[in-house]
Amino acid sequence: MHPGIIFLGVIIGSVLFHIFTPWWWTDIASNWGAMDDTINLTFWIGGGVFILVCLFMVYCIFKFSYKEGRNVEYKPEDHKLEKILTIATTVGVIALLAPGLIVYNNYINVPKNALQVEVNAWQWGWQYRLPGEDGILGTAQVAKITDDNPFGINLDDPNGKDDILIEDDVLHLKTDRPVKILLRSLDVLHNYYVPQFRAKMDAIPGIITYYWFEPNKIGEYEVLCAEYCGVGHYAMRAKVIVESEGNYENWIKKQETFSDLIAKQENNKLKTTLVAKTND
Amino acid sequence: MSDEYNQKNTPLEAQSSETISGTPSKDIDYVRPAELPEQDLYHGHSFITKWIFCQDAKVIGIQYFLTAVFTGIVGLVLSWLMRLQLGFPELVPFITAEHYYQFVTMHGMIMVVYFLTALFLGGFGNYLIPLMVGARDMVFPYVNMLSFWMFFIAVCVLMASFFVPGGPTGAGWTLYPPQAILPGTPGSNMGIILMLVSLSLFVIGFTMGGLNYIITILQARTRGMTLMRMPLTIWGIFTATALAMLAFPALLVSCIMMTLDKMLETSFFMPAILQAGEVLNYEGGSPVLFQHLFWFFGHPEVYIVALPAFGIVSDLISVHARKNIFGYRMMVWAIVGIGALSFFVWAHHMYVSGMNPWFGFFFATTTLIIAVPTALKVYNWIITLFRANIRMNTVMLFCLGFIVTFVNGGITGIFLGNVAVDIPLSDTYFVIAHFHMVMGIAPLMVIMGAVYHWFPLVAGRMLSEKLGKWHFWITFLGAYSIYFPMHYLGFIGVPRRYYEMYDSPYVASATGMNEFITVAALIVGFAQLIFIYNIVSSLSIGKPAGKNPWKANSLEWLTPEVPPAHGNWGEKLPVIHRWPYDFNVPGAKEDYITQTTPPSEVISAKVEKT
Amino acid sequence: MSDNSLNNLPGGFKGMSHDMGSDQTAFKGVQWGKVMMWIFLLSDTFVFSCFLISYMKGRASTVVDWPNTSEVFSLHVGDVPVPLLLIAIMTFVLITSSGTMALAVKYGYEKNRKMCGWLILATAIGGLTFVGMQVFEWSKLIHEGVRPWENPFGAKQFGSFFFMITGFHGTHVSIGVIFLFIYARKVFRGDFDNGKRGFFTTMKSDYVAIEILGLYLHFVDLVWVFIFAFFYLW
Repeated sequence: MHPGIIFLGVIIGSVLFHIFTPWWWTDIASNWGAMDDTINLTFWIGGGVFILVCLFMVYCIFKFSYKEGRNVEYKPEDHKLEKILTIATTVGVIALLAPGLIVYNNYINVPKNALQVEVNAWQWGWQYRLPGEDGILGTAQVAKITDDNPFGINLDDPNGKDDILIEDDVLHLKTDRPVKILLRSLDVLHNYYVPQFRAKMDAIPGIITYYWFEPNKIGEYEVLCAEYCGVGHYAMRAKVIVESEGNYENWIKKQETFSDLIAKQENNKLKTTLVAKTND
Repeated sequence: MSDEYNQKNTPLEAQSSETISGTPSKDIDYVRPAELPEQDLYHGHSFITKWIFCQDAKVIGIQYFLTAVFTGIVGLVLSWLMRLQLGFPELVPFITAEHYYQFVTMHGMIMVVYFLTALFLGGFGNYLIPLMVGARDMVFPYVNMLSFWMFFIAVCVLMASFFVPGGPTGAGWTLYPPQAILPGTPGSNMGIILMLVSLSLFVIGFTMGGLNYIITILQARTRGMTLMRMPLTIWGIFTATALAMLAFPALLVSCIMMTLDKMLETSFFMPAILQAGEVLNYEGGSPVLFQHLFWFFGHPEVYIVALPAFGIVSDLISVHARKNIFGYRMMVWAIVGIGALSFFVWAHHMYVSGMNPWFGFFFATTTLIIAVPTALKVYNWIITLFRANIRMNTVMLFCLGFIVTFVNGGITGIFLGNVAVDIPLSDTYFVIAHFHMVMGIAPLMVIMGAVYHWFPLVAGRMLSEKLGKWHFWITFLGAYSIYFPMHYLGFIGVPRRYYEMYDSPYVASATGMNEFITVAALIVGFAQLIFIYNIVSSLSIGKPAGKNPWKANSLEWLTPEVPPAHGNWGEKLPVIHRWPYDFNVPGAKEDYITQTTPPSEVISAKVEKT
Repeated sequence: MSDNSLNNLPGGFKGMSHDMGSDQTAFKGVQWGKVMMWIFLLSDTFVFSCFLISYMKGRASTVVDWPNTSEVFSLHVGDVPVPLLLIAIMTFVLITSSGTMALAVKYGYEKNRKMCGWLILATAIGGLTFVGMQVFEWSKLIHEGVRPWENPFGAKQFGSFFFMITGFHGTHVSIGVIFLFIYARKVFRGDFDNGKRGFFTTMKSDYVAIEILGLYLHFVDLVWVFIFAFFYLW
């Protein structure tokens, strides 16, 4: 069998695989459809180049296979052709880069009405903190983390008192409301990734990173850690529940604030002291 | 033994067909006399000085080749273990998460650094550079010999890490801190130290070798060999070596700093960290600094692998299509341009790293700019095939396989270079599929094609075409079917570096695909036994090759003895009259004109002046 | 091997393009060893640049203030603290040794073995003095509590970067000093005149080797100027 046929088969097979693949993006559940659109555009342009180049190659190996005495073209350079190809490629590149950078510009500019959510990552789990009534997150430090202060919130900072602390790994979000995820890591690099939201960013210990998105589909979504963080990396999962405003408010009301936590601990200490006193 | 070397009477001046106006003499075969006396070579006489501590670049090249292939086989076996865990986890209960991550890390580091880089630069570079530029050996044969033994020691240190307590490092080939040196990662004690030491030794060794390659190409070419008459193989290896000289320092610095962070508890890369309820002694360091240093090395590194492949494949296509490579000057400028630009794109590996977001604009732009010269090279390869006379032998098949896989991998690189597109795809299987296709399969196609092409020169015998074709089709079709579907796992969101995929809706749907990929990987892996058998058996029963069996033009085929002896050229150094791509010149009797053929012998041929 | 035939080469950009378009050599009249040292130094420049850029980035990211360098690096002469006295002396010594090296190269090419040999030894002594003073500075700071992992004056990274960068530089100087002593011996024995083969490399000795070593030492000196500017003065 002529090798050209097999190469042609590879090209056609790739195209068919792409058209009929059952493995495609998850249904998008956020505002970042523009990313999907840019990927589609890249498929058209890039895929087009791949197919054209490979088909031309297949054509050549069919038409110009070795024959004794064949008339071969001796033309070391063709400036006109080279210029045309350079210009065409540059145009193609610009056609991909321009939309991509516009989308990226939106990605790094967070809308003013975005709700702030701090995501804490640690080996190998997640916890969350919301700013509470005053809308400001209290300052916090890894060095201040203790059993009594699992988020390391600065006790002197008044803004931190009303912060809502969520120690389990399920985060609830309001639908159709932009969210700015502030990432904070307590140990190594992690990454809070929900495929349906498309957006992601690494959590770096020592600094606070961010990204934003607007969930627009009610449902439950799995969170995957997307930056290698040791042996538990593959098991570091969480859940995001996107729900209506009403359900969200119900959930928020049930969550504990930092001052609640402090009060609970003081109560316990009091009880322990009382118990100790009565036992003396 | 020197050709017409006469220091007093020979003025130093530049001469090439482009700069010389008219010939200084009526002789159309005139080539400027030698500027330098003959190189003073050390000839070994004992077994040790001829085969162990040998200063002959050809022997050193084979030593590099064999050592690199050995590490590559270790890397290949590790990949089988990884794939078995991913495809059929219940078959391999002994592979724990710790083991898996150690396999992942060692596989990656071995393949990128110890296999591909060493093979292209140390293996092909050492063997081909002196031959292709017309020198008797490298300019510093002693240092060259030392460079191989440094590499060998670096490999030993790396392999030793398999046997230390805690095992080899499992930090991922990118070795990101803080996890690389913390207990949550396997091998975070001796394993990571040995890795960092091994890499440092590797850098020192390759600096020594790199000096040899660059200076031999710049200063030790034979008479008539201008830079623009060198085969593209040399241009590719030359540019890659220049990249290595400038990129390895960043790796060395990052290794030193991480070693200090581990051994002396410094805080270069280590911020405040909470481990097991305790705040560690570190404070104030920057993990992102490591990433900048690592990728300033890491991105040129992938071009160090790719550029020699580009150069070699150009020569292979040209010889076996019996046609000059199209647009040679553009190809040279593209190689040099890609090399230079490769220093300005590194942070496209860091789009979601938490670096300053504004950098994303800059690096996305430079990354997509670098796509232009790369695309031009691809066009030139296929235009070379147009109106050529293509021998469909094993070498050509590997070249065609390279074109398909490289274009595929290059295009997926465009996806990832565009920052907004990279965000959902980063750290997923899309990235793994991309870099395996463009850096694993494509250069591997070139390596295999190059072995089939140059084996007759090195061993004096031809490899079996029949076995070669079987080897090619299984490898190409198998590898393509491993990595092409893998891109789609990235689309559904499967993250990389996952030991297993329990319970996720994404991956439950891809279980069958994972199994298929694993089976394909095992088949392709075992098919390489055909290749090894071909090489070993052809050494004794292969058809004797004679001189220049492929009817190529470049110098390495024109030595008086095949395989070439020490000193390469016998009594007289060759004299060059043309570029290596005079195939099927109109008016010429044969379909090739070697570089040493003087114009008077092919007076009827309408060559273009080169 | 410098000779008169270099006079025929065109200069400027035209000369450069002629050289690049030429057969055989791209750098006319430059021996292989010299080109090797230049390219090696280019690579080593990148190493030290990476160190210094990392230092600048690291210093910008510390969570605690950086120590005051003029206080930390001051010597007490009697009761008076003189800031940066030690490194001023070290810089003077290193630059002087560069000067003696340049003279040694000149005398080497003139085949004046005595002057060349003594000047090489003077350079070696300068280098040793520099390294000695560096050791003294290290021991003084260690005595005051500066460690790679912490120090009492400010950010932890101060000690780390200090010991790492000066250590790397000091190692480079020490290697240079070792070669200087070897070359001094070769000069006095007349090896460079006879073209005696080297013990390891078996290559013929030539006075250009002294110039090549000189290049290395001038580079090391230049790196020191940058270290001193960025680390001590800033």
